[in-house]
Amino acid sequence: MAGVGFVWSTPFLWMIVAALRPEGYGPGELASLAPDFVPTLENFRLAWESADFLVNYANTLIVVCGILGVQLVTITLAGYAFARLEFRFKEALFYLFLLQLMLVPPILIIPNLTTAVRLGIYDTLIGVMAPYMASAFGTFLMRQAFRSVPRDFEDAAVIDGCSFPALLRHVMLPLVRPTLVAFAIVSVVAHWNELLWPLMVINSPKRQTLVVGLASFTQASEGAAEWGLIAAGTLLVTLPLILAFIAFQRQFVNSFMFSGLK
Amino acid sequence: MISKGDQTMTMRHLIPAGRAKALALALALATALLSTPGKAATTSIDFYFPTPVQGPLARELTRIVKEFNDKNADIEVVAVYTGSYDDTRVKAQAAIAAGKPPGVALMSANFVLEFVLNRQIEPIEDYLVENKVDPKGFLDDFWPAVRPNATIDGKIYAIPYQNSTPLLYINADHFREAGLDPAKPPQTWADLVSYAEKLTKREGDQVVRWGLTMPSAYDYCGWLIQSFTMANGGLFYNPSYGGEVYYDQPSTLGALQLWKDLAFKYKVMPQGVIDPNQVSADFFAGKASMVVLSTGSLTFIRNGAKFPYRVGFMPRNVRNAVPIGGGSLIAFAGLSPEQRKAAWRFMSYMTSPEQLGHWSRFTGYFSPRKSSYDLPEMKEFIAQHPDALTALEQLEYAGPWLAVYDTVAVRKAMEDQVQAVLSGKKEPAQAVKDAQKAADEIMRPLTEKITGGVGP
Repeated sequence: MAGVGFVWSTPFLWMIVAALRPEGYGPGELASLAPDFVPTLENFRLAWESADFLVNYANTLIVVCGILGVQLVTITLAGYAFARLEFRFKEALFYLFLLQLMLVPPILIIPNLTTAVRLGIYDTLIGVMAPYMASAFGTFLMRQAFRSVPRDFEDAAVIDGCSFPALLRHVMLPLVRPTLVAFAIVSVVAHWNELLWPLMVINSPKRQTLVVGLASFTQASEGAAEWGLIAAGTLLVTLPLILAFIAFQRQFVNSFMFSGLK
Repeated sequence: MISKGDQTMTMRHLIPAGRAKALALALALATALLSTPGKAATTSIDFYFPTPVQGPLARELTRIVKEFNDKNADIEVVAVYTGSYDDTRVKAQAAIAAGKPPGVALMSANFVLEFVLNRQIEPIEDYLVENKVDPKGFLDDFWPAVRPNATIDGKIYAIPYQNSTPLLYINADHFREAGLDPAKPPQTWADLVSYAEKLTKREGDQVVRWGLTMPSAYDYCGWLIQSFTMANGGLFYNPSYGGEVYYDQPSTLGALQLWKDLAFKYKVMPQGVIDPNQVSADFFAGKASMVVLSTGSLTFIRNGAKFPYRVGFMPRNVRNAVPIGGGSLIAFAGLSPEQRKAAWRFMSYMTSPEQLGHWSRFTGYFSPRKSSYDLPEMKEFIAQHPDALTALEQLEYAGPWLAVYDTVAVRKAMEDQVQAVLSGKKEPAQAVKDAQKAADEIMRPLTEKITGGVGP
């Protein structure tokens, strides 16, 4: 168990070691995991100066929370509709929804961009969020979760005079909470790390997200990478996620165990 | 972070019409005040730039743009970082399709043709004429090698900004150890093979030091196979028409055969697809005695190598020849007259001999402008770093870089085949045929316009 843990954590440990390593070490020494030097924060200083991190953090946070907030509403309602309500073309509509999962996002760049320009949300954070506000994956997940809730619970509540909003809030949502949390993690991580769409829709440096800022010093083709700087930058970008994970670790693990995302 | 339009719209729903108007006015005033701090009527243009080299360059370019903005109070150039060269092309084309073209972009030199074919950029020549600059005199100051990629059908469409060629880097210590003279890097393919054999060190079946290694990841792969094809007497593509490549010609086949033999027959180079970062890492670690990398890596190698190194021309089989690489400035169609003026001032500032010289010393790219090298600071730099002179001398043998209809796809058609050969999955003879077929298919929309005899 400890061995497996060590193997999994190696890239992460290496990143920390590399980030603290002073400049001027050859690539041979760079590969070493053992700290054989006086640690320096120089790489962090350079990385911090390379991008406007505070603004980038704020933008990423707005985007990630904004997407998640809207998604939770849309997937709950859509998931419930597909799980419980009866309407015409329900099956066909559901499969049409699932088709969205099969599309490769880059195909949609130009149509999405054209739509963003028409809506007047080009080069805005809303523009970054808009394509993700409805999630096929989330809807599918919620539909499955709602279907696993016994109908008796619902019937009992309705007999007692429970309205639909109250039913959703007090009966259904608490029961599917692990699924919601699991989806939230997947959504936050995916949008935190996303590069292509924000790169396409955002022009102004002051609206850039973290990963776009990070990419500006890791995209190397000629010349070669400064690993220390990249490691420090990556650490800065991932740190909030790591801290959040550590803080809510138990809850996250439980969610995954109950949600069926095993 | 809602756009202005949305805010006023939501307010109109909440507040009676009269007050909404007043509010909208106040909002407009407030944003107007906020967005122009201190500057009178500024003309704003977007400048897309990729960073094919890492962090410090993006920082430096942002600094240069800021300096320009400070010197020109009436212009606001917004520097937009747009990822790799390929991402920058995608973003520019997506932005144009969406009706939001940028003003100016630093674009891979060989993508210019596509933008011309799609009528998405304006000729630089028009700018020159408008501003009373003689186009011929202007172009004459640029090295002949960088001109063809910037000139299409005799008209100037781009201003070269940063340029490179492939270059051979050697470890002088390893050369001496193997009884070779580090002052004489391999001149021919035969030299290359025999030197690499002498430099390769084996312990039993294990290779502990490779004689030669070079990158074969996307982008580099296509560039280097073109370089070897040219050195083998070939042309690789038709520089005067964007619908033809010569992938299945003897010169290309011979180039691919050499690349394969280095790895599989002589076993002096690792097999498989090799990443450029791996190449420089192996060179620094003394695990490879000779490497092929861009001249753009010169500063990086100079700062990173802990041993004496030398540089040499790319070895020849039939002739000395290399393709150029790097990026040029282009100006997009659809700019207002004020934006055109601002774009021209920005471009002419960026491509002045002084600025290009500074950028060259900072990055390792060579300056595309001859007059940069007449500047005293440049003469001093060359005297201190004779390796930069070798890179410059090779320019005499340089030619344009693959530029055709849908360049990236056509390049990848070849790269996929080269990578299959290097992974031992295909024979070169079959690979070049498949590459040719795939490339012809991609370029068909352009070529079918002329195969009927009478053109469009």
